[in-house]
Amino acid sequence: MTMRSTMTAVLERAALVNDELATEPYELPWAQEARFFVQAHELAGTLELTTEISPDGLTWCPADVPQVRVETPGMTSWLVTGFGQWLRVRCRVSGDEAPAARLRIYLVGKS
Amino acid sequence: MGPTAPVIDAGLSKYDPLGRILCFDRFDSTTHGWTELIGNYNGRGDLGTVDEHMRDFRPPQLSSCSFFDVGTHGTLSGNYALKLATRAHRGHTATGIRRLTMAGRGLVRIEAYFAFKAEATVGRELPASVAWDGNRHPSEAQFGAFTVATDICADNGVRYHNVIRYQNTNLAGEMTQQWMYPVVPEPTPRDHQEGKFALPYAADFTAPDPDDWRYFDEPLELCVNEVPTKINWHYLRWDIDTRTRSNVELRLNDRVMDMRDVPVPVYPDRYSTLDNLLNFYFSVRTHADIRNFLFLDSVLISVDW
Repeated sequence: MTMRSTMTAVLERAALVNDELATEPYELPWAQEARFFVQAHELAGTLELTTEISPDGLTWCPADVPQVRVETPGMTSWLVTGFGQWLRVRCRVSGDEAPAARLRIYLVGKS
Repeated sequence: MGPTAPVIDAGLSKYDPLGRILCFDRFDSTTHGWTELIGNYNGRGDLGTVDEHMRDFRPPQLSSCSFFDVGTHGTLSGNYALKLATRAHRGHTATGIRRLTMAGRGLVRIEAYFAFKAEATVGRELPASVAWDGNRHPSEAQFGAFTVATDICADNGVRYHNVIRYQNTNLAGEMTQQWMYPVVPEPTPRDHQEGKFALPYAADFTAPDPDDWRYFDEPLELCVNEVPTKINWHYLRWDIDTRTRSNVELRLNDRVMDMRDVPVPVYPDRYSTLDNLLNFYFSVRTHADIRNFLFLDSVLISVDW
């Protein structure tokens, strides 16, 4: 039995989102499972996180994963499996006045 | 069972290493120490103190080289290549760096099989200096440059970078297809701290002023093969000498370039905490608002000490 591989990518370090941000396409064709960690350093409003998948890194659709809603600063995380090759997360922030999120986003893949 | 066939390492036989192999990286399991470069930051871990032009060099990926038109292309040696991908932002650079130290001085050889591409444009077109004629394709003019370089420091803090860059297009998007080197050392975070520069996002971190680059050797056409979704692997072999802090020779497929007259700029001041530093990086820079990719099938680093 070979040891499993794991790999962590920092997709964003301090991205400021006032409306919507989709992370850069990230390939994990070798990974059986993946986990997003989204750390909201600052948050005014509601943050909605939608996992998206793609067969070619160009065209995207929602993954079979529930949308994650965040109302307070801090770290949130969710598991993704059976995603194929490309992954990204769409981050949407909304609120009554001046919605904004400052985000650090990690993606961890495991074989 | 019949007689056993002789064991031939198909991975190693396509390389030409010096006497001692420091690393032989195929990317079928992990990134083998090739990681994202980031600028330095303060004691609080405040990444807001990272130089603006060194904060977003993007994480390397393991890619099966799959495309919208043909699906999985695959690599030369196995299933996965190390992929460096820029953002679709003019001037943006992606890096992969490998960090070693030196146990001696002398010849160092880095070899790699690589391919480079601009991202395919589907259902839209971007401006390009090359038109599609059934053979040539706009994509070939949408790839900027890739760079191979070292970061070496030894002998009481003497620090320098050997640098080679294949410039496919200039910043205007015109095909140049030439090798280049910088005549100044890379600006460092300490230079910034000392007020010597402040560079904007997507500046060329290796040497930000285009006037600080020189061409060497004749133009060299590589095999980009007509469309953005065909991958042809190229062989690169580059020798440097850490005893003399100099370049020696670059080979790209059948082109051999004598580099002994190509200078290696040394920092005028001295650096601490870097004794025997021996880093290598690959980088890719886009010259247009389109993602550029550098794929590494495998990398081998060897020395003569």
